[in-house]
Amino acid sequence: MTTDPIPSAAPSVARLIRELNKLPGVGPKSAQRLAYHVVRLPAEEAHALSQAIVDVKDRVLCCSTCQNLTDTDPCTICEDPRRDQSQICVLEEPLDVLALERTGCYRGLYHVLHGVISPMNGVGPEDLKLKELVRRLEKDSVSEVIIATNPTLEGEATAMYIRRHVVPEPTRVTHLARGLPVGGDIEYADELTLSRAFQGRRDL
Amino acid sequence: MPRPRSFQCQGLVLKSVPMGEAGLMVTLYTRETGKLKAVARGARKPTSRMVGHLEPLNLVHLSMATGRPGGLGTVTQAQIVDGHAPLKADLEGISRGIYVVELADGFGAEGSPNTELYSLLLDTLGSLQGDSDSELTLRYFEVHLLKCSGFMPELYECVACRRELEAGRHRFSPELGGALCPECTPAGPRIMRLSVRALKVMRFIDRASLPDLSQLRIDSDLQQELKDVLTATLKYWLDREIRSKRFLEHLENSAGLGVYTRGA
Repeated sequence: MTTDPIPSAAPSVARLIRELNKLPGVGPKSAQRLAYHVVRLPAEEAHALSQAIVDVKDRVLCCSTCQNLTDTDPCTICEDPRRDQSQICVLEEPLDVLALERTGCYRGLYHVLHGVISPMNGVGPEDLKLKELVRRLEKDSVSEVIIATNPTLEGEATAMYIRRHVVPEPTRVTHLARGLPVGGDIEYADELTLSRAFQGRRDL
Repeated sequence: MPRPRSFQCQGLVLKSVPMGEAGLMVTLYTRETGKLKAVARGARKPTSRMVGHLEPLNLVHLSMATGRPGGLGTVTQAQIVDGHAPLKADLEGISRGIYVVELADGFGAEGSPNTELYSLLLDTLGSLQGDSDSELTLRYFEVHLLKCSGFMPELYECVACRRELEAGRHRFSPELGGALCPECTPAGPRIMRLSVRALKVMRFIDRASLPDLSQLRIDSDLQQELKDVLTATLKYWLDREIRSKRFLEHLENSAGLGVYTRGA
């Protein structure tokens, strides 16, 4: 029989602690601190928090075109006529769209895979939003697919798979440049990063 | 004697899993301590001095801070010794490399050094990036992994009656631990067909070194039989599916564009 880890808390507070404890990166102590912070919040702020959680579950869906998380289908990026319809940037996760949009230097469309090929974890191509990408490439006139998966072993494997099995000729397939990060240090760069930085060097 | 606060080691990165905001939980196979798990704090930040060094399939030299007794150590410095770049240059190479390290992760034990397994891992990855037959190299790895982990199937005597095997229609049982003579028909365990040719090739691989494999010429039927027997044995001892095998087989069975959309 399991014992209650928070026997002295009021039942409703204990329930909140248990629910918060289920969140990633929130341990029992953090859950307790957060729960008592919520208890001390003004009622309207606590209601706003709970409403935001309810809304996100009720309203957020996957854009049927780019598979990004959105409130409207198609999403605002897919519907924007000013965006370059001939370029699709393929990303691992919805958060990567936010990172690229912050740069303001890309004006094409996106496609979110919701994962990456990870053989060791049993995640194969069929578990990603690749069928949807194939359909887009068949239907729309796309001249360039920019693969922006993470420069990890799994990200590289996913990029190679897309190049070989998903994108038809003569569509151009590119991936983001590999090299030294701004603020990085050559002394500590690994050999693969350095060799790719050399391959991708540019005239000053 | 007090435990040293830090130590250095060389090991092959088997896997690295995101941990917390920007850290990694790294699993390595080292010559000195066998399988080793360690935390690399901040390793996923783009400006981290360890980023890129702790990718799977990298042979790395590490400086480690010892954790509390029973706890995890912390990686303080990492430097690639061999990144196996030719292996990572194509999709098949990556999937074979991941298959090898998944098996090493499954069979390797923490805190239990096994220099044979360590050498086998590095030799296999080296061979996979050369000109040798990759499928035979994988069969070599599987046989020698079972051997150096203490799970080598019996290939010379019948596992039921203990009589020496003679030419005939043998069978194989992963559960009973090896080959069965034609007379023995134990009930229960899964029994597989084992041709004389497959038995001979497994005996050859058992005694051979990696360069000796170039002497072997085997057809696709025999290749498949060896793969089935060894996969069943590995799965029996691992007590689970070999997850990376699915992707490896998917690549073997698919070629060119559009295969994925046909449900391969």
